[in-house]
Amino acid sequence: MTKTIMSAGALVLLGTAIPATAQTDTTTVEFWHSFGGSSGAALDRIIENFEAAHPDIDIEAEHVGNYNDIVARLQAAIPANRAPDAVIMEVTRYGLFADRGVLLDLTDKVAADPLSDDLFDFAREVGVFEGKNYIVPFNSSTPVLYYNADILDRAGFDEEPPLETYDDLLTVAQQVQEELGDEGIRGISAPGQFARWGLIMANDSDLIDSTTGEILIDAPNTVEAYEWMADLVHEHDVASPDNVTDEDTGKEDFLAGRSAIMMNSTGNYGESKEALGDALKVRPMPCNKVCATPIGGAGIGIIASAEARVQDAAYDFISFAASPESNAIWFSETGYMPINRHTADQQLAKDALADKPGIDVAINQLDVARGRPRPPVVTWMRATEYDMWQAMALGQREVEETLQDFAEQTRREEQRQN
Amino acid sequence: MTLTPDMSAGPARARRTGAARQQVLRRATPYLLVLPLLAFIATFTYLPIAMSVNLSFREWDFLSPDKPFVGFENYRLLLTSHQFWNSLQVTAVFALVSVPLRLVLALAIASYLVRETLPARVLRGALFLPAVTSTVAIGVVFSWVFATDQGLVNGLFQLLGLPKVTWMQDPQLALWVLILVNTWKQLGYDIIIYIAGLQAVPGELYDAASVDGGRRFHVFRRVTVPLVMPTTYFLLVISVIDAFQVFTIVDVMTRGGPAGATDMLVNMLYRVGFTLFDIGTGSALAVLLFILLITLAVVKARVIGRKVHYDS
Repeated sequence: MTKTIMSAGALVLLGTAIPATAQTDTTTVEFWHSFGGSSGAALDRIIENFEAAHPDIDIEAEHVGNYNDIVARLQAAIPANRAPDAVIMEVTRYGLFADRGVLLDLTDKVAADPLSDDLFDFAREVGVFEGKNYIVPFNSSTPVLYYNADILDRAGFDEEPPLETYDDLLTVAQQVQEELGDEGIRGISAPGQFARWGLIMANDSDLIDSTTGEILIDAPNTVEAYEWMADLVHEHDVASPDNVTDEDTGKEDFLAGRSAIMMNSTGNYGESKEALGDALKVRPMPCNKVCATPIGGAGIGIIASAEARVQDAAYDFISFAASPESNAIWFSETGYMPINRHTADQQLAKDALADKPGIDVAINQLDVARGRPRPPVVTWMRATEYDMWQAMALGQREVEETLQDFAEQTRREEQRQN
Repeated sequence: MTLTPDMSAGPARARRTGAARQQVLRRATPYLLVLPLLAFIATFTYLPIAMSVNLSFREWDFLSPDKPFVGFENYRLLLTSHQFWNSLQVTAVFALVSVPLRLVLALAIASYLVRETLPARVLRGALFLPAVTSTVAIGVVFSWVFATDQGLVNGLFQLLGLPKVTWMQDPQLALWVLILVNTWKQLGYDIIIYIAGLQAVPGELYDAASVDGGRRFHVFRRVTVPLVMPTTYFLLVISVIDAFQVFTIVDVMTRGGPAGATDMLVNMLYRVGFTLFDIGTGSALAVLLFILLITLAVVKARVIGRKVHYDS
C-alpha cells in the first residue's frame, strides 16, 4: 500500500515537473493592445504568423480597451507589479511613461535592427522622445474625411461638392440637414478629439507647438477653430449633441447611415468600407488656412521591468509586426498607413491599393502631415480637453473664455509636472 | 515555564491547573475564532485606508519611484478648487433627491406588495430584477433610451409631436436622468427590505386600529410608519452611503458630463486619480469623502436614531 502511494506521488510529481521543464523553453510575452473587431482579427493573424516563425515565443495578447483604457490600466498595474511585457501606446501619450522610466529605452535595439532603415521617416519619428527611441510604430494614421455618397446624392448634390474649407463643410452639412433631417440624418458627425486636433492644424495652429513646446490652446486660430467646431452642434445644429457626450456615437452614426460626413482616423477605413460599401468616399482633411494634419496612431513599447529574456522576445515580435509582410496585412485590412518602405511591394498591399478606393488618401496626405508633441503634460491635456469641448459644443461656456482657462490650467499642470 | 501539570503536587493542584488552562482557552477561543476575519479585514480594509491617508499627504503619479511628502497641499488644492465644490454640490443634490424618493416609493409599493397574492409575488420578483442586473448593462441601455437623436424617449416625443429633448447634454436634465435610473435600479432592494419590515408588524395592531375606526391613511401614518422605523433607518443609512458613492451609472452614462453637471465625488476621485495621474489629490478626496460619510452617519444616529424604536 505504502509503495503504491509513493509510486502515485512520484508520478504526480513527475507529471507536474514535465510541463514545468517544457515551460522554461517557451518565452511568454504578455501584450496589451487596443484593437477589437476587424483590426483585432488582423492583429491575431500577425501574431499567428509570428508564433509560427518563432515556436519558442508565445504572445499572450489581450484587448484592453481604447488608448485611454490602456493608460489607466497600465498606471494601476505598474505599482502592483502586474504590468504586461509589451504594450500599445498612443503616440502623444507615451512620453509620460518614457519620462518616468516605465518604458525600456529601445534606442540600441532599433539601431541594430535592419528594420530601422526600412521605416518611413514619419514612422520612425513617432517613437522618439527626448532623443531616445521608446516605441516602434505599429499603427500609424492621419485623420481623413469620409462621406456617404448616397446621402449626398439624396440631398441634391449631383456631383461631388468642394470639401476643402470650413465653409465648404458647413454648406454641405446644412443642405443635408435641410433635405434629410426629418429622416434622422445629420449633416456631419461632431469631430472627435483626433479630428479636432486636425481641424485646428488646418486653421494654421496647434494645441502645443511640436517644436518649441509652447501651449497654443488659447491662440486666436485655435479659438477660431473651436468656435467653428462648437457651432456645428450648438449654433447650426448639423451635428448631434450625442456625439459630444459620447464620441463613439459619431462613428456609429456614420456607419449606420445617419450622418453624411465623418472626420476620423484612416484606421476606420476597413470598418467604414464594410458598412457603406461603394457609397464610402474618402477625401483629405480640409485645408482651411493651410493644409496640415496630425500623425496619430500608436507604437509598441516594452516595459522596463520585464525580464531581459522576455524583453528580447518582445522586441522580436515588435520588429516582426513592423515588417513589410505584417504591415501589408495590417494596411490592407484596416486602412492604417504603411510604415515600412517595402510594404508597397507586397501583393496584399498592391491589391488593396488597386481594389479599395480611398485607402491611399492618408498616404497621399503625408506631405502635409506632422508629428505632435509628446511631453508628459499631453496626457493630462488630452484627458481634460473632453470636458472643455463639451462645455463649448453644448453652449455652456464661451469658447474664448473656456480656452483661456484651459490654457492656464495646462500651463500650471506643466509647471507642476516639471 | 511549562503548562504540563506537576503530578507530584497532588491531584488537587493538577485539577486547579487544568481548570485554569481550560479557563484561559475558553477566554481565548472567541478571539482565536475571529482572528482570521480580523486579519482579512485589517489587510483589505484598514490597511488600504491607512495607505490612502498616507498617500493623501504625498505627491505621486503612480509611476515615479518617489512620493515626496507635501503636507496638506493636496487638501488645500482640493478645498480651493471649483471642481471639488461642484462635485460636492452635485452629489448632495443627488443624495437629497434620490434618497427620500427611494424610501417613499419603496414603502408605498411595499405596503401594497406585502400581501401574499400571486400578482404581488410576481411584481416583487419583477421589481427586484433591476437590483440584481449589471449596473453597466443598465447604464448602456438607458444611454440609448435617453439619446437625443435615436433615443426611445425622444422617439415617443416625436410621435406625440413634441420637440426633442437633450436629456444627456443639458446640465439641468442630465442629473435628473441619473437620479431616475439609479432609483429604478435600487428600488427593488428597498422594497424587499421594507416588505420584511412590514411582515414583522403584529397584525393585532392593525385589528385594534380598525376596531377604533382608524382610516387607512391614518393607520398607515400612526401604525405602519413608526413600526417600520428601524427598517427606514437602516435603508436611510445604506442609501445615503450609496448615493455618495455612486459611480458606475455615472461612468457609463455621462462620465461626469456634460461639462461637470454630473461629476459626483467618486467620479471626480476616479478622474483625478486614474485619468489625471494625481494619486495624492485623489487620496485626499477619498479621505474627505470618508470623513463626510462618517459625519453624516453620526448626525443620522443623533437626529434620527433616537426616534427609532425596536420594540413593537
